Amino acid sequence: MNLLLGLRRHRSGPMLGAGLLVLSLLLSACGSAPAPASPSAAPAPTPAPAGPTSFRIAIGVDLDSTDPAGQTTTTVSNLLDYAVETLVKLDKDGNLKPGLADTWQVAGDGLSITFKLHSGVKFQDGTAMDANAVKFSFDRLLNPDVKSPQRSTFNSIKSVDAVDPATVRLNLKEPAPYLLAGLTATTSAVISPASVTAGGNTMTNYTTPVGTGPYSFKEYVKGSKVTLEKFKDYWGAKPYYDSVVFSIVPEAGTRETLLQAGQVDMIILPNTPDIPALQKNPAVKVLLASSNRTIFVALNTRDAALQDPRVRQALNYAVNKEDIIKNVLFGAAEPMQGPMAPSLFGYCQTNAYPYDPDKAKSLLQQAGATNLSLKFMSPTGRYVQDFQAAQAIAGYLDKVGVKAQVSTSDWPSYVGAITAPPDKNATQMHVLGWAPSFLDAQQAMVQFQTDNNPPKGLATSFYSNAQVDSTLAQAAKEVNPDKRKQLYCDAEKQVWSDAPWIFLWVQSFPIVYSAKVTGVSFLPNEKFDAIYAKPQ
Amino acid sequence: MRRYIAQRMAAALVTLIGVSLLIFMLVRLLPGDPARVIAGLLADEREVERIRVQMGLNRPLPQQYALFFTHFIRGDLGTSARTGQPVLKELLARMPYSLELAAVSTLLAVVVGVAAGVLAATRRNTPLDYLISLGTLIGISMPVYWLGLLLIILFAVKLHWLPAAGADQPASLILPALTLAAFSVALITRMTRASLFDVLGQDYIRTARAKGVAQRVVVYRHGLRNAMVPIVTVIGLQLGGLVGGAVLTETVFGWPGLGQLLVNSIFSRDFPMVQGLVLTAAGMIILINLGVDLFYAYVDPRIHFS
Amino acid sequence: MHMLTRASTSAETPGGDESWAAATWRRFRRRRPAVAGLALIALFLVMALAAPLLSHYSPVDQDLSQALRSPSVHHLFGTDNLGRDLATRLLYGARLSLLMGVLAVAIGLAVGLPLGAISGYYGGVVDLLVQRLTDILLSFPVLLLALALVATLGVGLQNAIIAVGISTIPVFIRIVRGSVLVIREQTYVEAARSIGNSDWRIIWRHVLSNALAPIIVQASLSIGSTILVAAGLGFLGLGVQPPTPEWGAMLGEGKQYIFAAANLVTFPGLAIFLAVLAFNLLGDGLQDALDPRLRNL
Repeated sequence: MNLLLGLRRHRSGPMLGAGLLVLSLLLSACGSAPAPASPSAAPAPTPAPAGPTSFRIAIGVDLDSTDPAGQTTTTVSNLLDYAVETLVKLDKDGNLKPGLADTWQVAGDGLSITFKLHSGVKFQDGTAMDANAVKFSFDRLLNPDVKSPQRSTFNSIKSVDAVDPATVRLNLKEPAPYLLAGLTATTSAVISPASVTAGGNTMTNYTTPVGTGPYSFKEYVKGSKVTLEKFKDYWGAKPYYDSVVFSIVPEAGTRETLLQAGQVDMIILPNTPDIPALQKNPAVKVLLASSNRTIFVALNTRDAALQDPRVRQALNYAVNKEDIIKNVLFGAAEPMQGPMAPSLFGYCQTNAYPYDPDKAKSLLQQAGATNLSLKFMSPTGRYVQDFQAAQAIAGYLDKVGVKAQVSTSDWPSYVGAITAPPDKNATQMHVLGWAPSFLDAQQAMVQFQTDNNPPKGLATSFYSNAQVDSTLAQAAKEVNPDKRKQLYCDAEKQVWSDAPWIFLWVQSFPIVYSAKVTGVSFLPNEKFDAIYAKPQ
Repeated sequence: MRRYIAQRMAAALVTLIGVSLLIFMLVRLLPGDPARVIAGLLADEREVERIRVQMGLNRPLPQQYALFFTHFIRGDLGTSARTGQPVLKELLARMPYSLELAAVSTLLAVVVGVAAGVLAATRRNTPLDYLISLGTLIGISMPVYWLGLLLIILFAVKLHWLPAAGADQPASLILPALTLAAFSVALITRMTRASLFDVLGQDYIRTARAKGVAQRVVVYRHGLRNAMVPIVTVIGLQLGGLVGGAVLTETVFGWPGLGQLLVNSIFSRDFPMVQGLVLTAAGMIILINLGVDLFYAYVDPRIHFS
Repeated sequence: MHMLTRASTSAETPGGDESWAAATWRRFRRRRPAVAGLALIALFLVMALAAPLLSHYSPVDQDLSQALRSPSVHHLFGTDNLGRDLATRLLYGARLSLLMGVLAVAIGLAVGLPLGAISGYYGGVVDLLVQRLTDILLSFPVLLLALALVATLGVGLQNAIIAVGISTIPVFIRIVRGSVLVIREQTYVEAARSIGNSDWRIIWRHVLSNALAPIIVQASLSIGSTILVAAGLGFLGLGVQPPTPEWGAMLGEGKQYIFAAANLVTFPGLAIFLAVLAFNLLGDGLQDALDPRLRNL
């Protein structure tokens, strides 16, 4: 049958013509993919709405836990900050400011901290916030049955006393000078004791958080969106919008289109290459928030090829960080000038490792390390342009004679590989990012403590320096802030010159919002601060 | 016939058990420590260990499987290691979205596909046939991600006709359904065209035509009905592939379906979730295939379990 | 009339004036789309093999100062984020995509054919087992299967090929088994068996050679779909590792540039699309050309 019809003459013209037409349509659609710079047909300005107002934000991750105590992700904590509050808060520069506590006092021996609570504060379920509620929240946080991966910050707390309805005292096992900074973490937020047994919540399964914040948790559609409603009896300054809606949109490109289409008012983490165009776009504003996340290449100091500090220093000199930041990260980072982000307490600026390939080559020669060949691992999509930056870095290393073999894998395999115990650990160089859960050097320097080497912890460069260890141990208990700072500074300088890492950059946290909105700010721990946003 | 049904159902059960065993092993072979991944980088060893115990990972493997399977039979799919919520609850929360998307795109694909296939088969070697053929070829060759983003740019950003992402409005379904349907339409059109064309060439069709039966009756009553078997096969295969295959579409459009949940669960080593999802997906596929098999038996009584 | 036509084209008969292969080729030639597909594949082959001759650029050396250039006289398709010439990377990428497609299908054939043949011919418990195995493999979403395999075996070209290859096995088992089931009952097989031919010989000579047509067609179509799946793996960063260029990986890395530099998405996507299209055209053409009803058994 096919043969029969196959004998007929084909008229190929129409087919080719149709083909060309379709292909050209496709190509023209691709070619004219709009650069966000061109203000596309903006939706007609909507008249001031008579009904309830809503601020819409698009984020990229779904909620893993709605329990403040169970937080592991900054973005989810950020969302919960609309509903729950902590005793102490952060300001834009990383300094502590009053939260639910008006004032606090650290005892002379450092073994207790006493907080005076703000009066007249209500929870969203109508009950009063008092010392008992605070005690309850902390007791719950320390309860081993409650899932709290970031509990370790608070392990120094021995007990909590509700001295009187407006006074709470934390009793510590040992002096913990970093604890006040730690109390800014959403993990330690105060929740309503009554809520733990109401609205479908249980002690260990806390699905609808009830706190003291300006918005209350209204609705959560898994994988789709979270709706928060204004809390009329909020004790602080009232925000403008009646509700806040978080849309969960995993694709950066899609988030951008949502903003451009006017479907949301603010997004975080756009496609990095679009940042320059977005900055030029008059319809949106770009905020490159400084953060506390350092990105570096951890070097396995136990590996024969990397044992000599001169080799590691050479690697630092070999990489042109500024260039990579400009061309690969599109300006969304600041070069590291110390082993941690500047916003941390105890940060101390050391000399930079400027781009100097000649110095790198000579150091390598001195160390007798010519023809190095190293395995270089990087995650994909975990950090801003991580994979791309790794390739760029490998390119620079190649220019000084170091062959770096770049590879990637999925995140869990990656973590498994880099935290393998010393006898099984085959890593040589790997990209990693570290964002301390609170802004204190103690959290950053754990990366250089011997007792934090895998498999116990995540100091994946296996760095071990007894002097540094003892300095850090001292600093962890030093109550005097100036002395503490000095101790950390000493440790940092030592680490910097030992170069267990290729110190790369401090990642910025890009926030993009509609130009029709104002009052969007940030906190230096990768959080946006849009509670007091309002229309222009 | 009854024997056939019983045999097919037994086969389906065996397959399901096989899948459960396979996914159980496969997911535990994946490198990386699930407890560490779920706890996050900032958690200390104590908390990681706690999560490990909670997930039951410290028990011997056979015991883990036994627990998993016995719970599964009772309808308990376990608890998500990541969120601490019951897997079943998470599944049911997202299932309507996946079903909606699958149903609408399949419906679209079947209606358009069969119609286009009929058109092409009855007008073989005309320009229309060539256009349709070209269209189907494009459909089965197009990277989904590309198509999805192109549609968003065109209809949401440039024209402002449709929402770009999310699942809020009824109109949000259109673009994702179109994207997902593209491949299916193409496949179904091709199958309909080929199958119908085969059938139309048969002798009994010629006989009907010779007897003067109207073209439309010939095509639809005699032709299409007999061509349905392979068409239904393809539809069944398509529906099955939709759960996992919808991942990219769901990602691009922020559609809260099961496909995305699956990939996220693999990448966060949420064993209970992966197991629950794959079993559910496999279960649906097996069920659909069972339906197709039974349909065969109904349509052609000569078919028997061989 | 249909019968007459068939009988009169003695060219189709094996041993007739024209060999079966030549007849197939003649039928194939007549279908423009099929020839177009073949031509396209030939084009890709040339691109893959002659890449170093066609472009003086290196596919891997980076030059940040040339990053993200638009298409121009110097760079036909522009440059990528590390300053590498996109057209060159596409040329070299053809090697990998074709290799992965062909090898993956080869694995599918190598495992699927014997299993399908044995399963169909012997029936019984063996058949049951193979059937269930096939059902299980088919019930797994393909991407998940490939993902799990790659995550278990590790990333890289070799394991990506294995992973994708395994996912093609069920299809070939099914096809061969189906053909075998039909052929098994034919009289000439009974005859062969009765005169003492060993089972293997029967399977090989009669069974497989008659299943050849659908196998060839499916192989071609499968190459197309494995190129897509392999590109999907590359898209997720789980396939070939950089700096080796691979179309899927290029698409995956390029997707964040979709607004800033659309060429990074358009051209790799187009390459994947055209390659898959080509194999599908070929498969279609082969299907028509190899139409079994036109051959005497």
